[in-house]
Amino acid sequence: MAGAGGAALWLGGCGGSSNSAKPVAGNEWKQFAGTTLNFISENTAPTSAIAANLAPFKQLTGIDIKITQLELTALVQKVALDFASGQGAYQIVYADPYQILAPYHEALVDLNTMMRDPNLPKLEDEADFIPVQLDAAGRFVDKDKVYALPYDAPTMIWQYRKDLFAKYGDRMKQDLGFDPTPSDNSTWEEFYKTSQWFLKNAKQDVPYGHGHQAKQHDSLMNDFSNVLWAYGGDYFKDGGTVGRFGSMDPGEPVLDSAEAVQAADVYRRLVSIAHPGSLGWDWDGLGAAFGAGQMAMAVNWHEFASGNETGKLKGKVGYARLPRGPKRSASMYGGTGLGINATASEREQKAAWLFVNWATSKKTQLAGLKSKVGGGTPTRDSVYKLPEVEKAKKPPSKMPNILTADAVFEAWKPENIGLRPKIAAWNECDTAIFTQLSKMLAGQQAPESCMRNTKDGFVKAIDNAASLKNA
Amino acid sequence: MAAGTVERSSSTARTRTRRFPALSFEGRMLAPALILLAALSLFPFVYIVIMSLSRVGLIGGIDLHWAGLHNWSKLFSDSSVGAAWVRSVVYFVLTVGLEMVLGIGIALLVHGMVWGKNLVISLVLMPMFMAPVIVGLLGRFLTDSTYGLYAWVLRETHVFSGDILGGTKSAFVAVTLMDVWEWTPLIALIVLAGLSSLPKPVLEAARVDGASYWQRLRYIVMPMIMGVVIVALLVRSMDAIRYFDIIYNTTNGGPADATKVVPIRLYETAFRFFDLGYAAAIGLSMLAVSILIANLFMRTLKRRGLAK
Repeated sequence: MAGAGGAALWLGGCGGSSNSAKPVAGNEWKQFAGTTLNFISENTAPTSAIAANLAPFKQLTGIDIKITQLELTALVQKVALDFASGQGAYQIVYADPYQILAPYHEALVDLNTMMRDPNLPKLEDEADFIPVQLDAAGRFVDKDKVYALPYDAPTMIWQYRKDLFAKYGDRMKQDLGFDPTPSDNSTWEEFYKTSQWFLKNAKQDVPYGHGHQAKQHDSLMNDFSNVLWAYGGDYFKDGGTVGRFGSMDPGEPVLDSAEAVQAADVYRRLVSIAHPGSLGWDWDGLGAAFGAGQMAMAVNWHEFASGNETGKLKGKVGYARLPRGPKRSASMYGGTGLGINATASEREQKAAWLFVNWATSKKTQLAGLKSKVGGGTPTRDSVYKLPEVEKAKKPPSKMPNILTADAVFEAWKPENIGLRPKIAAWNECDTAIFTQLSKMLAGQQAPESCMRNTKDGFVKAIDNAASLKNA
Repeated sequence: MAAGTVERSSSTARTRTRRFPALSFEGRMLAPALILLAALSLFPFVYIVIMSLSRVGLIGGIDLHWAGLHNWSKLFSDSSVGAAWVRSVVYFVLTVGLEMVLGIGIALLVHGMVWGKNLVISLVLMPMFMAPVIVGLLGRFLTDSTYGLYAWVLRETHVFSGDILGGTKSAFVAVTLMDVWEWTPLIALIVLAGLSSLPKPVLEAARVDGASYWQRLRYIVMPMIMGVVIVALLVRSMDAIRYFDIIYNTTNGGPADATKVVPIRLYETAFRFFDLGYAAAIGLSMLAVSILIANLFMRTLKRRGLAK
């Protein structure tokens, strides 16, 4: 009863939905007390925040959670091998939509079965999840199934040194003929010119205008895709649907289109004047270099705000939506959901639901935002509307990630969001594009051949995945 | 009748003995360990051979579907694997070559020391006690263009101003040197052991006869330690083919595939694309090359009468 009371208090504190307002029946939160579950996650801020404060969940359910945090590639490997073993060693899975959900959705539980189970605690207002995130992180092809609940929502945004823009703004405006301050109307061409200006005129304050995460790595695909979409290119003809809901048969890639080739050329030009370290950096390398004051601007995941606001750049960084191209502004979304391993026992699956439900609840997301170990990236709309969160949008903020809220909300609009293809062959396609882009940046091939070779790589990867699927 | 039966059974026993000679005492003592070893290495080997002839499904348990020679024909027509082999060969020649030259050089210098020899040996050997993954992380840190010491030194001395791990040539040189830094001490240690066992009277006699240092090195020392040098070469060669950790932690095969050697390609196929059948074929080709190189060295050792 105490547990039920605790549960009622916990969810009651979340407020909002009619579901959460209902009294919790019986001891549904305590029914799996004594169980131990394993949660495997990428080493991201929300998981660090949860790992640092698991006591409320233990108190609520009596369940012990063992958390394994890994770099994404290692995580995907462990999860795939766990699925292959059929042992269900990791009951709760950080289900990256592209590397886990798309190829292995059959090994994840359809969470609707948990939501409909009268003996399990109800999910607190499913509609509160930002819709595009629920689709992108939680669904695969079949819109009636939900394999994961949105857990984090890193999104690429423009991070710039407000202090330097303030210092040089007037001179730049005069020299460049436009206002360089990042805004909704800024273009990639202006971004290039602004970076070039810093490089030529502000060496005493900052060595380079901007940097990229252009290592031969997943980060290069992310970085380039923003430009690709902005210039009207895409991965597949129906890129929006393939990105949001995923596809078993995405059709022929359109990466050799004139728009895609133009985007590759623009990207090459951008990297050519960027910090030379760009070619060796992934997102962490870029984040560290930006934090060390090596550049005036960077395009990086918004969760790096927490690092910016605790380092020597505290209060000096501004955040904006990414620049526009001829077609639109596009910001890569990198959110992930929490799923349940279908190869785990039924009891463990149900116990895992309690954790997934709790970890994605409004109160836990708010606690993550306030956490001193990095801060979360909430996926529920209502969290951003809480008065204390609204207040934190202005510096100095106790929730540094919220300083980016205006930029990311703009980025999450369906017309601005950038969603890479959610297909079973994604890992191989991803490798094909970042390898070919890396070759282009190394001067080994022109944008035309880069995009043509990437398309060929996609076709080969999709055929290969299909043959493995049919095995 | 009885005598005839005895005679026949005795003859059968002799025949059996000829066909299946009884195990010696040593053989019987070694048998359990050998059977265990065979089970441990043969079963995975046979399984990998079967995998290389299959398409491998992963969900809900490993599922093998016969694919014939599909993976093998793909292996011999895959240009990216071919390119990875070329890089592996270049890398192999550079690392093993540099390690041998430097290792022998360091061993000769240390062997000639009179004072502080033990201290110098301890310092020289330190890198090889580090896990390769740590060497990779350390290398990445030291070559980082923002805060790396080596990057800073090269920039300040105007030797190299770009990003060390961001350029195709510089990245290849960097990962090669990281491996050389870690494993040269092993060569030095093995050669030093060989030098310590040299018969002093022979060297002293050569000195009394007026042979210079280089003459003694060329005509006495090197021929006498050649067996040890070949063993060192064999040990490092086997390891160099499997070079993975440092590259994985620094460049992950980039930029522009410049450091994508075969083990990285194998890892990518197995644990990124999860095409385990094809990965098994690549792995077996690596095994074949390793056996080929080992045989080459063993033959050399036999020719010199240094191995039975």
